[in-house]
Amino acid sequence: MEIVEKILNGNEASAAKLISLIEEGKDEGYKAISLLLPYTGGAHRIGITGAPGSGKSTLIDKLATNFSKRGKKIGIIAIDPTSTKTDGALLGDRLRMRDAENIEGIFIRSMAHRGYPGGIAKATIGTIYILEALGKDLLLIESVGIGQTEINISTVCDTLITVFTPDYGDEIQLMKAGMIELGDIIAINKSDMPGASNAQQDIKGHVNTNNNTTWDIPVILTQAQKGDGIEMLIEKAESHFKHLKENNLLEKLRSEKLKKLMLSFLKEEIWAHAMNKWAKKSEFLNIFEMVAKKEIDFYKAVSEASNLIFPDC
Amino acid sequence: MAVARYIKDEKDQILDVIYESGIHVKPCYTPKDLEEIGFDYEKDLADPGQYPFTRGIHPLGYRSRAWTTRQYTGFGTPEETNERFKLMISHGQTGLNVAFDLPTQMGYDSDHEMAEGEVGRVGMAVDTLRDFEIAFKDIRLDKIGTGLTINAVASIMLAMYQAVAEKYGYDPKVISATPQNDILKEMIGRGAWIFPVEPAVKLIGDTIEYSMKVMPKTNPVSVCGYHIRESGATPAQEIAYAILIANAYIDNVLARGYDIDDFVGRFSFNLNVFGNMWEQIAKFRAARKIWARNLKERYGVKKPQNMFLRGLFGGGGYGLTKAQPENNIMRGAYYALVAALSGAQTTALCSYDEAYTIPTPRSALISLRTLQLLMDEVGLRDTVDPLAGSYFIETITKQMEEKIEEEMFKIENYGGIIKAVSDGYIQRMVARQAYEIEKGIESGELLKVGVNIYKEGESMEVELHEYNYESAEKQIERLKQVKRERSQRDVAKALRELEIATKEGKNVMPYLVECCKVYATLGEMTDVFRQIFGEFKEPSLF
Amino acid sequence: MSEDKKKIKILIAKPGLDGHDRGAKVVAQALKDAGMEVIYSGLHKTIDQIINIAIQEDVDFIGLSIMTGAHIPITEKLMKRLKEKGIEDKKVFVGGVIPQKDIPKLKELGVAGVFPGGTPLRETIEFIKNTAKTA
Repeated sequence: MEIVEKILNGNEASAAKLISLIEEGKDEGYKAISLLLPYTGGAHRIGITGAPGSGKSTLIDKLATNFSKRGKKIGIIAIDPTSTKTDGALLGDRLRMRDAENIEGIFIRSMAHRGYPGGIAKATIGTIYILEALGKDLLLIESVGIGQTEINISTVCDTLITVFTPDYGDEIQLMKAGMIELGDIIAINKSDMPGASNAQQDIKGHVNTNNNTTWDIPVILTQAQKGDGIEMLIEKAESHFKHLKENNLLEKLRSEKLKKLMLSFLKEEIWAHAMNKWAKKSEFLNIFEMVAKKEIDFYKAVSEASNLIFPDC
Repeated sequence: MAVARYIKDEKDQILDVIYESGIHVKPCYTPKDLEEIGFDYEKDLADPGQYPFTRGIHPLGYRSRAWTTRQYTGFGTPEETNERFKLMISHGQTGLNVAFDLPTQMGYDSDHEMAEGEVGRVGMAVDTLRDFEIAFKDIRLDKIGTGLTINAVASIMLAMYQAVAEKYGYDPKVISATPQNDILKEMIGRGAWIFPVEPAVKLIGDTIEYSMKVMPKTNPVSVCGYHIRESGATPAQEIAYAILIANAYIDNVLARGYDIDDFVGRFSFNLNVFGNMWEQIAKFRAARKIWARNLKERYGVKKPQNMFLRGLFGGGGYGLTKAQPENNIMRGAYYALVAALSGAQTTALCSYDEAYTIPTPRSALISLRTLQLLMDEVGLRDTVDPLAGSYFIETITKQMEEKIEEEMFKIENYGGIIKAVSDGYIQRMVARQAYEIEKGIESGELLKVGVNIYKEGESMEVELHEYNYESAEKQIERLKQVKRERSQRDVAKALRELEIATKEGKNVMPYLVECCKVYATLGEMTDVFRQIFGEFKEPSLF
Repeated sequence: MSEDKKKIKILIAKPGLDGHDRGAKVVAQALKDAGMEVIYSGLHKTIDQIINIAIQEDVDFIGLSIMTGAHIPITEKLMKRLKEKGIEDKKVFVGGVIPQKDIPKLKELGVAGVFPGGTPLRETIEFIKNTAKTA
C-alpha cells in the first residue's frame, strides 16, 4: 500500500491521513495499520492525565520542548472532549503547545474523544502505532481530562503522569477520583499556588500506603508555565521506562494493558450492537412498556431483555 | 449592536426590556423608584465637579470648554500622515490621533518578513525617528496633544515622541502625548501583544514613572474598556475590567515607592459608546463615580482632581454595519449624542465606512462635523449633565453601579485581573458572549436595522484602500538609507545599554530615548525586549 | 469494527499580524455547535505554520480570517503552499473584511467560499456541510 510506504518514509501528511481513516473506522485504514504493525512498539509512550485546568497541555508543551533538546523524535496526541449536546468539539489543547508546535519534527495531532469512555478516543491506539511507524520514539498522550476516571489512558501508555494542582481538594476527593492509583508519576503543577508542599506531603503519604509494586511513585512539584520541575519529570519518566525494561515488565504490561483495552472496546462494540439491533425491536420495547405499567418487576425485565440478546447465556 | 433584549407579546407590546448588563427596565419611573434605591443627591451625585463626579468632572461642563475631538488618522506613509494632520487641524480638530500599521504595532521593522504586505496598510509605518520627523513636521507639539494608538511597544513610541519633540526644539515638559499603552486589553481583545504579562505591565509602569518626571503633561496610559467591549464584554464588564486594569498599572508604580497623587491624575480612559443609549449614559455616570471612589477609598488619593475619570468616550465601531453603510452616519450621530449627554471630555467617532476600511478624508470629515454640530448647533453645551434627576436615569445609574461592582468582585474573587487575563478567563467569557450576540441577531431576538429588519435598501460597496506597494518600498528604502547613514557604533552602544538596563530591571525609558535619537530601529529595540522577556502565550479559549 | 461517522474537521486560522479575533472565535463556536471538530490556530500565524497544522491535523477545511485588507496576497500564498505540499484537497474559505469585488479574485485563486463580515453564521455552516458532501 502506498500510504504505508510513505509513512515508513516519514511522510507526515500520509500519517495524518491514515489517522483520519482510523477515526472514520475505514477498513482500508485497518488494513494499513496491520501492515505497519511490524514497525510499531519502538516508542516510550507517556500518558498525561488530570483534571481540566490542571495545566496538562502546557506541561506537555514543556516536556516536548525539553525532550526534543535531548534528540527525541516526538509525537503528541491531544484528546479533547466531544460535546454530548452538539457532537462537535473545539480542539484547544494545541494552542497551548505553541513552543512544541514550532519545533520541526514534533508531530501534534488533536483528536475529539467522540463519546468514547476512559479518557481516550477510539483512534488513539491506532494513532500510537502510526506515529511509531512514522519513526517517533517518544509519544506524549494527553487524556480528555473531563474529571472522571480515565482508566483507558493507562492502557495505551507505558508511563502515566497524573497531574494535580495544589487546590485538588481534600483527601476524599482524591480517592474518589481514583486517579492517584493510576499514575506512575505524580506532578503537582502550578506549584506557586499556596499549599503546594502540603499537597505533595499528602499525596506522598497516600501513594506510599497504597503502592505494592517495586516502583516508588515520585511526587514532583512543577510549574509548567515557567518550566520548573520539567527536567525532574523527564528524569523520572525515563527512569520509570528503564525500570520497566530492566525488570522485563515492558512487554508483559503492554500485553496485559492491550487485553484490558480490547475488552473495553469490545464492551463498547457489544453495546453499540445491542442499541442498533435490539433496542428498536418490538419485543424489546414491549419489555420497557411492561415495566412502566408495573406488569413485571424491574429485575425480571432486565433479565428478560438480556436473554433476548444473549439467548445462550 | 442592538443589544438590549425586548420581550414582546403577540401585539408587539413590550413586556420587558433587559439591558446587556442585566438591568430590567420598567415601563415607567416615578419618585418612588428613587426612594427605593435610597437616592441621595449629595452622596450619589453631588454638583458637577464635586466628588464622586457622577455629573461630570467640571463644574460648568461644556460651558467652560467644548469637548476635544480626536478623529483617528494616520496613513501609510509619514508624509501622508503629516498632510492629514494639517488638514484635520485646519478643519478645527483639536487633538491628533495616530494610527500605526500592524508591523509597527507588533514591533517589526518594515523590512521584516512578518511585515510583508502590511507596511502602511492600516496606519502609519514607523521604523526610526526619521519617520516621526516627517510626520510631525510643522506641527505645534506645544499646542496640540497627540494620541498614539499603540500598546505593546508604547514605551518605544513615547520615547520616539520625546526624541522628535526635542529635535524640533520643544522641551519635553510642554509636550502632551497620550499613548494608548494598555497591554492587558490587547490580551483580552485586540491581540496586538508581544511580551508576557509581567514584563509587559512593567514596561507600562516605566512609562508612567518616566512621564511623571520628564513629560508631566503626557497621559502615559489610556485604559481601553473600548476594545474589551468590542470583543463582546457587556457595558458593566467594560468598566469593571478597565478599572481593574488601571489598578494593576497603579500597583506597579506604587510598588516603586511613589505617592499615588503624583501620577494617577494623568491616567485616562477610552470607552465605547455603542449599545443601548440609556445603558451607556448610566454606564459613564456610574464609571466616574466608581473610579473616584476606587481611588479615594482603596488608594487614599487626596486631591480631588486626581480622582477624575478623564478620557475619550466615543468610537462605536461594533455598532456599525456593513449593510446599508450610510445608516452608520445616523448611528454615529446618536452615539455622539450619548457621549455628549454623558459629559465626555474627548471624543471621536468611527466613520461610517469603518466597517470596511480606513476612513476616507470625506467620511472622517463627516464624523468631525457630527461632533461639531452637536456642540455648536444642537445645544449640548447649554447646561451641564442635563439628564440629572431623571427618575429613570438615576435609578439605572445606581443599578449600573451595582452591576459594575459585581463584575469587579467576580474577577477579584477569581484571583485578580492579571490572573484572569493570563489564564484566559475573561477572554473565554467575552468570546462566549460575542457568540450569544451573533446568535441573537441571527434569530432576530436582537434587532439591527438593515441587518435583520428593514433590509430593503441599497447596499453600497465601499472601496478598500489599495495596498500601495510603491509606498511600502519607499518606506523600506528610507529605513535602509537611515541604517546606512547612522553611526553604527552609537546604535550598538545604545542598544547594548538598553539591554543591560532591561536585564537589571531599570526603567528603560531613558535608554529608549537614547536609542531613538541615534536612529536605532523599532525592530532592534523590540528585539532586545523579545530576547529578554520572551513572548506572551495566548491562552486557549476552549 | 463498525464504521464510524465521518466528522468534518476544520482549522480556523488567523494569518499575519492582525489580532482582531472576535469573528474567528464566533465562527469557531458556531461550527462546533453545528457538530464539527474545530481547531483554532491562535493569533499571528505565518502561512507555513498554518499549513503545518493543516497537515498534521488532516483537516478538511481551512478557514482564514483576515481583517486588514491583505486577503489577496495572503490567500495566494496559502494556495501556493497547499499545492507545493500536495494537500490541495483541503478546501479553503475566507472571512473578514472582504469587498464584493474581490470575491471573484479569491475564487480564481481556488478558494471554495468567501464570507465577508456580516454573513449569517448559518450560511457558512451550510456551505461547509454541502461542500463536505460533494467532496
